[in-house]
Amino acid sequence: MKLFDVLLGRTKPAQPNLDHLFGLPGAEITLEASLGLKPTGQAGVCFKPATGQQFAQTTTEVEQLLDLGEGVKIHEESDSYGYRWAVIEDSDFGDLINEVHVVNTTLEDHGWGPQLLCSVFGFAPIPGGASDPAGSTGAPKVAGTYLVYLYKRGSFYPFVPLPAAEKRDSDRERLLKVTLATDLAMEPDLERWFPLWGLPVH
Amino acid sequence: MSTKTRFPADRGLTARMLTTVFLLGLLYALFVTVLFLVGLKLVFILVIAFVLLFVQYFYSDRIALYSMKGKIVTREQAPKLHAVVDRLCALANMPKPQVAIADVDMPNAFATGRDQKHAVVCVTTGILRRLDESELEAVLAHELSHVAHRDVAVMTIASFLGILAGLLTRVLAYAGLFGGFGGGGNRSRGGGGGGGQLALLELGMLAFSALIYAISFVLIRTLSRYRELAADRSGAILIGQPRLLAQALVKVSGEMSRVPTRDLRAAEHFNAFFFAPAFAKGVSLSSLFSTHPTLERRLAQLTELEAQMGRAA
Repeated sequence: MKLFDVLLGRTKPAQPNLDHLFGLPGAEITLEASLGLKPTGQAGVCFKPATGQQFAQTTTEVEQLLDLGEGVKIHEESDSYGYRWAVIEDSDFGDLINEVHVVNTTLEDHGWGPQLLCSVFGFAPIPGGASDPAGSTGAPKVAGTYLVYLYKRGSFYPFVPLPAAEKRDSDRERLLKVTLATDLAMEPDLERWFPLWGLPVH
Repeated sequence: MSTKTRFPADRGLTARMLTTVFLLGLLYALFVTVLFLVGLKLVFILVIAFVLLFVQYFYSDRIALYSMKGKIVTREQAPKLHAVVDRLCALANMPKPQVAIADVDMPNAFATGRDQKHAVVCVTTGILRRLDESELEAVLAHELSHVAHRDVAVMTIASFLGILAGLLTRVLAYAGLFGGFGGGGNRSRGGGGGGGQLALLELGMLAFSALIYAISFVLIRTLSRYRELAADRSGAILIGQPRLLAQALVKVSGEMSRVPTRDLRAAEHFNAFFFAPAFAKGVSLSSLFSTHPTLERRLAQLTELEAQMGRAA
């Protein structure tokens, strides 16, 4: 079939893999125990908006669905690359994962699965914790710690931007990769760990 | 897992492409059979043709970059461009190709490389300057679709027949010019009785190779146009906004007719002298017009896709 597709010059739009998101609760425990990181309570679902009324209706439906939940806030933002973010806030990490899942499945059920790019979960050091990088110096060394889920690959990668413009802490990212290797499917191809500068999630 | 998609396959395009591939294959088989039956000393020519094919196949990325003066750029040198390609590759679930910029004012872009691991996507500074970010993204989605469809490999292999027939035509023509067709000239030293027959055979082969070359040339161009349409389609679906690709095409095409083109069109004239049509260049966005469908045809397809997006799934 692959050869046939090559001969005919066609590709099927890549469908997302949503299963691996449920490895996150285990990762949360590991991150807190070994690196002193806990969720910020924010997550973002990044997708490529499509034209037409149908797509607009789907995104409205997503917002309405989530507004029903308690203790959850959602808003939409566009980034400078032409992608849209559904930014979700929920202090309960388990609920947050579920809400991200609702956004995904709603988009997928309406046939917009190929539009999903990635989702991002924010983490921050526990204030005053043993491994709080801000603990001794007072100034935070990193601008945030994120776990990025690549839908089409079904894998995660860490993204740790530095406060300086468009630099990332590769050592810390590698440490995160090793730490989480047993909990999550980490992306082995480092070429795919693309930076998400200026992402609207904290 | 559901595999819902809003885009049914374009069966018409698929059928037309399949027909073209089939005709090329048929022509290829016919040519090789005749060569075999005639039994000319063709081993040498076959070897040359294979070497040419090999070089085109394995060095297409470097040849194309060199001829367009494209330079590979790192993420630090072109962060914006890399960011766009990163995201498109993640959306399409494909490995990221190398990214190159050619310092040419003509607005153009091309993808080259025989497979996804050796792929290079190159844009000119001219296109970077003329298109806005979303249009550039559409162009890159089109080029990435070429990579995903392995168009360079397909077109190189498809053009092998052209190489072979063209080469044979030339060898026979030169043999006729300089050697005389098997004697019969002023200085026939010892042609003997077989000379006339041999000359006829050679003339016949010359005509036959030239004919095969002409037909394969047309078929390859036809295939190339279908593959452009296929790349437009996949690219537009990938970004979810066919309108943007249409915009970029209109902008680039408009500019193309105004720019006094020398380099690329000169290359196309040279096709008559090259052993093979200049497909080693890679598959470019809109430079070699005859290898591309008309703008109207491409816009019509994109408009249809745009309409499909609005309809219920």
